Amino acid sequence: MRRAVLAVAILAALAAPASAWAHATLEKQFPAVNEELKQAPHRIVLAYDQPVDAVPNAVVVLDAKGKNVAGQAKAITAQRELVAPLHGKLPKGAYTIRWRALSSDGHVVSGISTFGIGVPAPPVTEAVGAQGPTGTEDVVRWLYFVALALFVGAIGFRLLILPPELPEAVERRFYRLSLAGGVAVLEVGILAFLLRAEDALQLPFVDFIYGDLAPLANGTRFGQAFIAMTLGFALALALLVLGWLGLGRLPLWGAFVLGLGFASGLSLSGHSAADPGDSWLSELADWLHLSSAILWVGGLVCLFLLVWPQKELRRDAFLRFSRLATVLVAVLLAAGTYLSILRLPHLHDLWSSGYGHVLLIKLSLVATALAWGGIHRQVIAPRLRAGADGAGIRRSLIGESAVAVSVLLAAAVLTDSAPPPQPLPPPPTAAAQHRR
Amino acid sequence: MIAAQLLPKAEFVHWWFATGFVILALLLASEAIVGEEVWGRRPWRRYLWPAFMFGMGVLMFPVMTFFTSSTIHMVAHGSWAQVMMLAGAAELGLARGKLRSPWWHASTSFALLVAGAAVLVHEQNSWLFERAAFLHHLIGWTAIGCSVFPLLKAVRPRWPAATFGMAATFVAFAVILYCDRDIAPIFGHLSYFAGVPKR
Repeated sequence: MRRAVLAVAILAALAAPASAWAHATLEKQFPAVNEELKQAPHRIVLAYDQPVDAVPNAVVVLDAKGKNVAGQAKAITAQRELVAPLHGKLPKGAYTIRWRALSSDGHVVSGISTFGIGVPAPPVTEAVGAQGPTGTEDVVRWLYFVALALFVGAIGFRLLILPPELPEAVERRFYRLSLAGGVAVLEVGILAFLLRAEDALQLPFVDFIYGDLAPLANGTRFGQAFIAMTLGFALALALLVLGWLGLGRLPLWGAFVLGLGFASGLSLSGHSAADPGDSWLSELADWLHLSSAILWVGGLVCLFLLVWPQKELRRDAFLRFSRLATVLVAVLLAAGTYLSILRLPHLHDLWSSGYGHVLLIKLSLVATALAWGGIHRQVIAPRLRAGADGAGIRRSLIGESAVAVSVLLAAAVLTDSAPPPQPLPPPPTAAAQHRR
Repeated sequence: MIAAQLLPKAEFVHWWFATGFVILALLLASEAIVGEEVWGRRPWRRYLWPAFMFGMGVLMFPVMTFFTSSTIHMVAHGSWAQVMMLAGAAELGLARGKLRSPWWHASTSFALLVAGAAVLVHEQNSWLFERAAFLHHLIGWTAIGCSVFPLLKAVRPRWPAATFGMAATFVAFAVILYCDRDIAPIFGHLSYFAGVPKR
């Protein structure tokens, strides 16, 4: 009897779905995400894939000062819409919409968008209420850099420094390190995206799990970079697995090229792409700076983790890496100097702005790492050439790697900091006006 | 916006992955029917289902990045992508001889456990709230319960019942995924009184 009841219940559930379908999803809205309007709108319209109910403060429209300019929202069940009137004619400026709607399954869904009247709409990461990168985001970005160094840097080291045939133990260590780096790149990337979304949405955790992330994913450079980089690195990780399975060096080269190429997502979504005065040259310089850094740091870690336990590999690997590191450091310094000049309009910004302070710390760490590397090159390389086994310098290599990894921390904080403002162009002089 | 318009409808994506699970099930069932020895006479056959699983994991990443209507869905899709890649890679490693311990089959068990938990966590409604909720609970608990089959494969690698069990699990996944939308061809939008078909 109980079985029959259960069978009927199952069939009923399958054959007659309830009128509700999980939680509501926003399908359309006016103004659209990031839309620049020429005239002030009279109301906000949010259209969902199912009827929703209005909760208190269902739609809040904030001006630049954080004042709500929207009236009480009403749900129009037939049209599956939430409509909020606006107080009077809104003046020119940027506005933030924060909405909450009660789905028919009882869950509150939330979202955010921005629009501008007569001005471009800011991205949702700069919406009213968003507080910008936090200390946690700095740490997460640092972990991302470290993971990139282990993933792309290790593959580069394997291809450019180590011989094609390796002892099994070294090969195994290489794949453990680079696979762990690849997984970490994906995991930390997702975490970074969610932290940025949490900051933009400004919701308690319970509501955040139903928060609409689409405006961040599709409407910001950060989101688009996240999508491209996640897909690119997933593919690179898949190629690395094919390399591990023994399908030759081609998958490894593919993973390396994809890894380096998609690392450019950071350059195309950061200061070098979004700040005033930036150009393709600054984006290229940023990518070269980042690429050389991850190859250098990843190579250092590989040197003491993969190579040093294997005595017969030490000499050749050290000397080859020493030559490559010279090139990498030259590119790193050239690109870094160019970017510093670009972002710091005056020399005194180095000691008078927060960005300059972090840059000074980074420069001192870079100088320490370079001096350490220089000693290795001048002292250790000749000894290895002379036939010494170099067993005693493993700790020194670990020390240099630790300093290099801390450079990445300073870089992470720097990336999340705002550079000092660029000086305004000088007003036209009387003579210039006369010439016109 | 243009990218959003180019996105396939959610039900299509469900059906594509359902078809993937049907293919996985067919491959596993074939292996179980003819036996591991006969199946392995053509070496490439050993890689078929693990490679398919691995590929499905890679293809789940676009689902994660393009379907971002809520945090919980994004996290769930991401976890499925990663565990399918993990399970596929481990099974490929075993087939290739890169991994030797049969306990690596446990990574497929782990994948099923994580996938099942993610399904259950991202469905917040009770079993009989609606058909989709029921099917989410069903697929979640099926994944968790059937995670025992790969473990059996670890304990008794040549026992065909474990492979059959995995094939049956994937058949169940496929049927549930085909049913998971109101406009699905199986157990579709049957009742006129249920309102407009929902995606």
